[in-house]
Amino acid sequence: MPDIIDVKDLVLVYGDGTKAVDGISFQVQENEFFGFLGPNGAGKSTTIKVLTTLLRKTSGSVAIAGNDINSDSAKIRKMIGVQSQETVVDLDLTARENMMLQGHLHQMRGDALKKRVDELLALVDLTDVADKRASSFSGGMKKRLDLATTLVHGPRLIFLDEPTTGLDPQSRAAVWQYLEKLNKEGVTVFLTTQYMEEADKLCKRLSIIDHGKIVANGTPSELKREIGTDTITLKIEESGLEGQSARAKELLQQTKGITEVLSSDDGLTAYAKDAGFIVADIVRSFDASGIKIASIGVSSPSLDDVFLHHTGRRIRPEEAGQKPAGRTRFGARRPTRQ
Amino acid sequence: MSLLYDTWYLFVRALTKLIRTPILLFFSLLQPIIFLLLFTQLFSKIAAAFPSFGGVSYLAFATPGILLQNAFSSSLQSGTSIVDDLNLGYVQKFLVTPVNRSAILLGRLCCDAFRVVAQSLIILVLAYLLGFSFTTEVPGILAAFFLIAYFGFAWSGISLTIGLTTRSAETVFGLGGILTFPLLFMSTALVPAKGFMPNWMVTVSSYNPISYTVNAVRDLALKGFVFGDIASALLVITGIALVTQAATLYKFRKIVS
Repeated sequence: MPDIIDVKDLVLVYGDGTKAVDGISFQVQENEFFGFLGPNGAGKSTTIKVLTTLLRKTSGSVAIAGNDINSDSAKIRKMIGVQSQETVVDLDLTARENMMLQGHLHQMRGDALKKRVDELLALVDLTDVADKRASSFSGGMKKRLDLATTLVHGPRLIFLDEPTTGLDPQSRAAVWQYLEKLNKEGVTVFLTTQYMEEADKLCKRLSIIDHGKIVANGTPSELKREIGTDTITLKIEESGLEGQSARAKELLQQTKGITEVLSSDDGLTAYAKDAGFIVADIVRSFDASGIKIASIGVSSPSLDDVFLHHTGRRIRPEEAGQKPAGRTRFGARRPTRQ
Repeated sequence: MSLLYDTWYLFVRALTKLIRTPILLFFSLLQPIIFLLLFTQLFSKIAAAFPSFGGVSYLAFATPGILLQNAFSSSLQSGTSIVDDLNLGYVQKFLVTPVNRSAILLGRLCCDAFRVVAQSLIILVLAYLLGFSFTTEVPGILAAFFLIAYFGFAWSGISLTIGLTTRSAETVFGLGGILTFPLLFMSTALVPAKGFMPNWMVTVSSYNPISYTVNAVRDLALKGFVFGDIASALLVITGIALVTQAATLYKFRKIVS
């Protein structure tokens, strides 16, 4: 089966000379959940605009399900659904009217369309307000309606440009749920995001894009593994015996795979590749030495760390406080050296 | 086939939006209604004093002009809706569907034409209540409405072109304000040219496209089917429409592809 998206050496230069996309290549398979992760202005939206026939590429080749983006654009428009970054729902129309219009423009008619609209409104939990004008909706409701309108014609492939930017955590979680459900039903999803957590949770595979170039490719766990260093945090039971803490540190340093050990008031922190495999070794050697472990934990590097690794920058330093759960600063997880 | 359907659905959308923002209709009707109620009182004795008014009441003379004034100012607002559709992303949302590209523009133009006709009907009913009547009756009214809608279509091209170029609703509104008054008052919409205006203005008025359409509609209301006037009105409107709508199409194509 051919890839549903096949992009080779895509370049897009805007009229003012800005090179928004600078020779990117990637493939997406049918039914994949694929992500483009990158900061504002990285070229994510521009790529989506080219892939959805809104912008004409400067050079390179783009094929959607084997159809050339320039010569078969009419065919492509029939099989794709697109949600742009800004929420686009007609505020003067009701939720149902918004859906019906989108269906009509996709040449759907009659009862089949009505039934489809009812199903989708139920899917995004808007049945109760189906006949209310969108102007009365909250931001989250508008976003859900926008998503539903892109699905009316049952697209094989949907493009979502930062579908959860500006949403509260609850609405964001709801959107994630719909997207996972759709993907399970066989829809290929191409998503862009600047949220690490979102890319990590949803995308089976992703590309990291920065300054119009793809800097890394792979599954979230592959990408994270590539940069190595998981963190192991360990606490021993206080037995009153002298030097136990120093002995524990020594044991960790001798464990194969561990690159660095730090001790702090909270206990010991060790850095290692594939820490999951090492934990068993640690437990065994501590057991043999008679040191009791109070707690042991492993945390993987986040995609945030991956982004930092490849670009040398944080993805949204100016909005670090807004980032969803988890550590926000790389250095913050290191205990202070003694 | 898809052109017809798509135009229809986008026309219905535009119309629904228009009906649901009645304040817009109210304001655009306000001006012609004030003209109708105030001017017909203010100038009632002038029409009797100047033979160039043709011996009819000022109401009879001015109603066709007020109808055209309404079409003129409404059509100059046409571009503001397309600016909204562009800036809010609706056009882009339409463009990623298989919708017929021309339907996006045609749906808008049909809605504008519908609006002009509906507003004209309201003005006409009011004028009838004040004592106005069409000598050519229903066929003449239909012909007059066709001329008025066609006239609106021709002028909407200017506002659409400006809207598509600047993407600024304020610019479109501003342009409407600047064009309306000089063009309207230097035409035969509200007063006759010869025997009333100073000579230089008679000349201006004779080149003013509004005059041609007003004269044709006025003939239909007061005299009957004067085919010469109707033909020259159609010719002038067609000329304007070709230029303005070609410019619109050019600008629209640049956005679409």
